Amino acid sequence: MLETVKLTKSFKDKKVVDEINLYLQTGESVGLLGPNGAGKSTTISMIASLIKPTSGDVKLNGKSTIQNPSDLRKMLGVVPQEIALYEELSAYENLKFFGKAYRVEKETLEVRIQEVLDMVGLKDRQKELIKTFSGGMKRRINIAAALLHNPKILILDEPTVGIDPQSRNHILETVRELNQTQGTTVLYTSHYMEEVEQLCNRVYIMDHGKIIATGSKEELLSILSSEDTIGVQLSKRSEAFTDKIKTLPDVLQVEQTSEGLRIMAKKNHHLLSSLVHAAEKEGIQIMNYKVEIPSLEDVFLHLTGKTLRD
Amino acid sequence: MGAFIKKDLLVFWRDRKEILMALLLPILIIVILNFAFSGLFKDEKAMQIDISVVQEDDVKKGMEQFAAAVEAKGLSSEEKSAVLAEADKLDPVQLIHDFLNSSDLKEWVTVKDFSEKEAAEQVKNGELDAIIKIPEGFTFESLSHVLLGETSQGSVTILAEEESAGVSTLQEVVHSFINTVNTQFALGSKGVQATAEPILPKGGKEVVEGNDGADAYTISQYFTIAIGTLFALFMAQTVSLKTMTEKREQVFNRILLTNSHPLSFLIGKTVSAFILSILQFAITLTVVQLLLNVFPDKSFTFWAGLMVVLIAFALTVGGLSALFTALTLHLSDTNAASGISTLVIMGFGVLGGSFFPLEGLPEPIQKIGEWTPNGLTQTALIEWVQYSHFNDLLFPISFLMGVFIICFAISVSIFPKRGRS
Ligand SMILES: Nc1ncnc2c1ncn2[C@@H]1O[C@H](COP(=O)(O)OP(=O)(O)OP(=O)(O)O)[C@@H](O)[C@H]1O
Ligand SMILES: [Mg+2]
Repeated sequence: MLETVKLTKSFKDKKVVDEINLYLQTGESVGLLGPNGAGKSTTISMIASLIKPTSGDVKLNGKSTIQNPSDLRKMLGVVPQEIALYEELSAYENLKFFGKAYRVEKETLEVRIQEVLDMVGLKDRQKELIKTFSGGMKRRINIAAALLHNPKILILDEPTVGIDPQSRNHILETVRELNQTQGTTVLYTSHYMEEVEQLCNRVYIMDHGKIIATGSKEELLSILSSEDTIGVQLSKRSEAFTDKIKTLPDVLQVEQTSEGLRIMAKKNHHLLSSLVHAAEKEGIQIMNYKVEIPSLEDVFLHLTGKTLRD
Repeated sequence: MGAFIKKDLLVFWRDRKEILMALLLPILIIVILNFAFSGLFKDEKAMQIDISVVQEDDVKKGMEQFAAAVEAKGLSSEEKSAVLAEADKLDPVQLIHDFLNSSDLKEWVTVKDFSEKEAAEQVKNGELDAIIKIPEGFTFESLSHVLLGETSQGSVTILAEEESAGVSTLQEVVHSFINTVNTQFALGSKGVQATAEPILPKGGKEVVEGNDGADAYTISQYFTIAIGTLFALFMAQTVSLKTMTEKREQVFNRILLTNSHPLSFLIGKTVSAFILSILQFAITLTVVQLLLNVFPDKSFTFWAGLMVVLIAFALTVGGLSALFTALTLHLSDTNAASGISTLVIMGFGVLGGSFFPLEGLPEPIQKIGEWTPNGLTQTALIEWVQYSHFNDLLFPISFLMGVFIICFAISVSIFPKRGRS
């Protein structure tokens, strides 16, 4: 429904966003991941019609939105990275103002304000001024303000930066709820892998203005080499056993942990039986055996050679 | 649109500091200036003077002498009787006495009755400040001068032991009175009805002299008008500065995304600046009037006219505010925008004579000053205080509205369609 075609933005001579192609299908929840300065916010601002691209296009249902973005704006809810609210006004007054600016019908607006306040869990604090709110509460109202006009597409730019776990969970829940029960299409920007893993069906990974990988979570994970990390819980500790494991075929590395061992090995279906066999010989019981699931964080590390947050 | 106006007013209302700044500061400044300057000019004691009039002239003899002189002129009998009738109505000595006892002078001049010798004594020991001496032949000479066009020698002299501000003011006042009487009669004899009155310091306050017999305006009135205008002008910037915060905090982006018409945003600012500057000026005027009675005994018409000019000026302030707002949104560097608006406001303030009177400056600068909205408003209001001619207000009002329209048109044309470019 919404797609970018070779979307590019340069500030002076610096290419901040470089020929980005991405798309959103109706009802999807898509993540845009990238470290600081990758160009996520710039990309989002172009999609949201706030910045004019240097070149490329943003298309809504196949139609360019660059010249006349008003149709796009109507269906779009944008949660900016910064708190875009009037500090001197109360939560209610802010929502009322933006609701009116969106030309929500008067009768509908009152109901809608209470709905979105309910969604972000701040109904009982609506009379208080924004400047008296905590960072997390501000972020929640920041989201509420983007929902007043029932947008079909919701774009969130790092909505959980620097806030308490309670607010964070609330925000993630709200977004999931919108996507799953109301069918809102979501584009979610973050540099928190676990959020994107939880929320999104599909992920774009961005670095230095370029998309360096894309796909479902599983597809991205398969990028990782064919290695497994296995955690083994043992009934007792034994140096002899550890040494023995190290000599097994395909085992690359063995580490002792408080509970037992962490083994890094090439994918090998016979590893478990070899382990059990060796343990029996040493009189050790294997209490637990678990192949650790690699995370997108690992994928990112693999692709860029750096962690998402440094 | 209503939402935008309400939002802007509400934001301002919540900002107590700015409210206080905008409303109290001008009042405070006017009160302080008023006290500072009244200390210089309003020294009641120094301006209280006691005098005595010593009359050496014999009025009856003077009249007879004048009649003889007319006789000797060889005029036609009609002319003769006209001149003599005129002279009968005119008693120069009595005029001086009436003048010195008039209500205008009573406030600071007390006339005491003494004989010549006693009076001289009293001046010496400081009981009297001055003696006004009406010399012998005063009646005759005055009449000959006024009615027959003869040159006169005898004039009223003021004798004082020491020169004081009070005495020299009295000197000026008496001379200007005599001059006025002279012109009045000179005009009167040509059949022109003239009602000029001498310009007198009111209540001993410093008076900025008005021309053409206009009502004088006091320095307090000047302060009130100048400072009130200046602070109302500041309101244009105060309101538009809010835009900087809106832009920085991306609130403006959010507003853009609502597809609201640019006019809504601009009108929000314009109306806020309009209402706030009127409110600001009205409160300042009311409080200053109640505290200091700056405009005593003014009619309802006076206040209504004042209000009309203020409304026109506030409209201009609204237009400027829209212009600064659009500029802030148009330029990528918000500091540059605020720099420009500060420059404009301060430039207007200085050129328009809001900081200090322009009277001492070269003519061209004064002329430019009259074309600034605040300078024009100030001039219009001061003229209104002096003359109360409604016609004089028409030009300033149309000019101010014109400035508003131009500012607003420019604002709409530079209003950005997107956030950053
Ligand atoms: N107006 C601008 N002028 C010049 N450079 C800019 C401008 N806006 C952004 N940039 C640069 O573009 C790059 C990408 O910025 P952007 O805000 O899109 O990154 P981001 O991925 O959102 O980062 P973060 O995770 O910190 O929010 C940065 O290097 C930034 O310095
Ligand atoms: Mg960003």
